[in-house]
Amino acid sequence: MSPNDFQHLSDEALLDFYHATRNINAFRQLYQRHKDVLYRYCSQMNFAGASGVLQALWNNLLEQPPELSGRQLRSWLFIQVNRLLRNCASQDPDAQQQLADPENRVLAGIQRLSRIERNILLLYTDCQLPLATVADIEKISLKKCREYYRTGKEKLEEFLYGPQRQPWRIAEVEEVSV
Amino acid sequence: MSVLEHQYREAVAGITSPGSLDEKILQYARQFKPARSDNLWLSKAASSGAAVAIVVLLIHPAQYLGALTPSLHPADASRQRPLTNWQQEPTHPAPAVDPWFHLRSQVEAGSYVELCHVWRRQQRGSVSEKLPRDLESKARKHCRLLP
Repeated sequence: MSPNDFQHLSDEALLDFYHATRNINAFRQLYQRHKDVLYRYCSQMNFAGASGVLQALWNNLLEQPPELSGRQLRSWLFIQVNRLLRNCASQDPDAQQQLADPENRVLAGIQRLSRIERNILLLYTDCQLPLATVADIEKISLKKCREYYRTGKEKLEEFLYGPQRQPWRIAEVEEVSV
Repeated sequence: MSVLEHQYREAVAGITSPGSLDEKILQYARQFKPARSDNLWLSKAASSGAAVAIVVLLIHPAQYLGALTPSLHPADASRQRPLTNWQQEPTHPAPAVDPWFHLRSQVEAGSYVELCHVWRRQQRGSVSEKLPRDLESKARKHCRLLP
């Protein structure tokens, strides 16, 4: 059975098939689908611990089938990796955050955001998780999550393009009206 | 896609999972051997058993002896009187050499010289063995009786 035979299967079907048969090609296909986005996310959240976290994540998945409880495997992967990243960060809180590409201004700008803003921005923009799932991961309300996303995006845009133009008269008008 | 997203995609395009990490994870995955499928072995055993049964049914002599049609060949009667349907096996005659082979082949080839010679000697009574009937008739037809 070649890896091409699994292309039409969904992640969840592929995972079930892998745990039923332990077919290495099924796992390879599953791994190929998610490895890069997971690494991108982990390396921007914790560059030093990214490899260790991902290894632990995939080893757990290999050892025992995850209980998806109706969720998509993609969501499950990010929920688990987030949990592992938090444990990793709590073990070594003083670790300096490195960058995959220190000269890149976008990546540098993302690193300037707070952890929660960065996490929400990456999970929503790069990992393409629904904002509701991201809110569940952060254990905050959807409204608050949306607020964090908006502020994070604004901060990043400000870092990249400078502060937004403000109408110069507003402050004066406000002062006068008060 | 906004300009920011576009710039972000360009920035992270080169960030991919390192090969060493992939290799470690896939190596760990290889440790889990494929589950042995008992059903596969069962089906193999079942199909070989079925094949053997079919072969046995095909080559079993009982079906050629009429053992499956007891109404046509009542077994009880033959048991009571075993000699009822007994027949001696015909003895095949031992293949004998045809003494007239040479002469017959000559006749079939169209040469009647030898046949006529034997025929004349038979007429004179100097030959112990008589010609077979077919050769005799041919000799009557083709040979002249010399004085």
